[in-house]
Amino acid sequence: MKRLRHYFRLYFLIEAQYIKSKMQYRDDFFISSIGMFFSSLTTIAVFWVLLASIPDLAGWSFNQLVFIYAFYMLAISPFQILFDHFWQLRFHVIEGTFIKYYFRPLNMLFYYLSEMFDIKGVVQLVLGIAMFIYASIKLQVSWNLPLLLLLAATLFSASLVTISIMMIAASSAFWIFNSWPVLDLARRLREFSPYPMTIFDGFFKILFTYIIPIGFVAFYPSQFFLGSQSISTAVYLSPLIGIGTFALAYWIWLKGVNSYTGTGS
Amino acid sequence: MSLIEIQNLSKYFKVLNRREGLRGAFLDLFSGDYRTVKAVDDISFSIDEGEIVGYIGPNGAGKSTTIKMMTGILQPTSGKIEVNQLEPYSNRIANARRMGVVFGQRTQLWWDLPVIESFKILKEIYEVDNETFKQQMGLFEDLIEIKKLYPVQVRTLSLGQRMLCDIAAAFLHNPKVVFLDEPTIGLDVSVKAKIRDVIRELNHTQNITIILTTHDLGDIEALCQRIIIIDKGKILFDGPVQRVNQLFGVYRTLKAQIFDFNQETLPRLNALIQTKFPDPDAVHINQSEDFWTDLIINQEKAPLREVLNLIMSEFALEDIRIVEISMENVVQRIYDGALL
Repeated sequence: MKRLRHYFRLYFLIEAQYIKSKMQYRDDFFISSIGMFFSSLTTIAVFWVLLASIPDLAGWSFNQLVFIYAFYMLAISPFQILFDHFWQLRFHVIEGTFIKYYFRPLNMLFYYLSEMFDIKGVVQLVLGIAMFIYASIKLQVSWNLPLLLLLAATLFSASLVTISIMMIAASSAFWIFNSWPVLDLARRLREFSPYPMTIFDGFFKILFTYIIPIGFVAFYPSQFFLGSQSISTAVYLSPLIGIGTFALAYWIWLKGVNSYTGTGS
Repeated sequence: MSLIEIQNLSKYFKVLNRREGLRGAFLDLFSGDYRTVKAVDDISFSIDEGEIVGYIGPNGAGKSTTIKMMTGILQPTSGKIEVNQLEPYSNRIANARRMGVVFGQRTQLWWDLPVIESFKILKEIYEVDNETFKQQMGLFEDLIEIKKLYPVQVRTLSLGQRMLCDIAAAFLHNPKVVFLDEPTIGLDVSVKAKIRDVIRELNHTQNITIILTTHDLGDIEALCQRIIIIDKGKILFDGPVQRVNQLFGVYRTLKAQIFDFNQETLPRLNALIQTKFPDPDAVHINQSEDFWTDLIINQEKAPLREVLNLIMSEFALEDIRIVEISMENVVQRIYDGALL
């Protein structure tokens, strides 16, 4: 418990400083925030136009699809904001700068991630919240305490699924010299997650449910809130699946960290 | 009780035997043909509290592999290693709490933050109390005038300033041992001198053990009481620095560019040197880079001035340089039996 408090304090201290220093580059901060806002907005707009032209997709209404998409945006936000440093892991590994993360009396994943905080991701989070509220109102979801708790649990789990997939992809840098294609593939796969899994045929459905479980990033967990008639068993797994995938991802990360030998000095 | 205890320590790496060419690269994909590289091969030594030890050797000798084992990054293949009575690899965090590391040119401070904020974060990481923090920062203010650097972003520091800050940061939490890897590389003479002063002072006032790896024999002369020389994974020499200084302080390398260099030049030069200085240890001649001929001169047996005069009487020289003996040459001389 004391350890945990220590880590929280430390995280806020580092991030506060980091944000302060980023704010000093005012132009960069504003321009990149605006850029992120519009890039998120255009992604949503494309999705919106696409869905609006299809009256229903495999039995899902427009508002239901917006709900799933909003769930997806919320679920990927923790990765965007807190785990941004994973994109750089392969450079640190190749250039040998990764070695410094061994020298502090801290958990290495924590220390590594604490060095970066993506403020721009907050913009995306805000957009996601707005969309989520919009879709909930349109669908007349009657929120009550148990449902809100379920939302918290499923969002937490869904976030862990995205984090785990990206973490495994990023950790491949410990074994593969050019791991960019792996990371890029993971990101592209993730982009399938806001679509109803029911539109995919056998192979992809099994792939996205059991092997690379992106179905759990948005589609399966949102079923709890959309009042669907036929709920598959996968849906009931969704509050838990995140913990399992994260355990696997963390194990792979540790394997990589423990096998790293650095570069010559 | 010694602070660092190493017994029969080895670290082997398995390396794929690579073939040449595109076809070879393709075959390598399915090859199981590994060879074992002994990066560190059965070494033993112990280091006491408060010592400054120079850990030196040519590139690829096994220095950084040893350091990586002492800092808990690498797991030894066999043998025993204890730092503060702890096995570093399986107790990485506990070990890190009592150690400081400076790794050459790679800063461990926060690149985007002002210097003082980096120190405040370090205070939090190592849970240094306010009293100690104030006392340590006061010491750094006296030693390296760090105060005027407080508001400066780490990225905008000069290499020398950054090195000084990194060294101070490594000592902030009163560690038992500090590893310094090439702390003076790429710095000018005055900054080098300053860094040596700071290291000596911190070692002296706080009795902190220092393990120093360097290519600069000046660092060793200025700081170390004891040196350990390693090459090809094995320890060549472990003992007081004076012995090595006595031997190698007298060596100079005379680099000469001889006009109209041809096949006969070297035999002629050899013959000339031999008539004047018959002792085989007096002058060694190497053809090093293109156009340059190296003469490693033992000044006790062959005064530099006399060697130079001798050569100039027979050869036309385009250019000369005189340098201190290099680490590679020290190691070579030890192999040749200089310390026996």
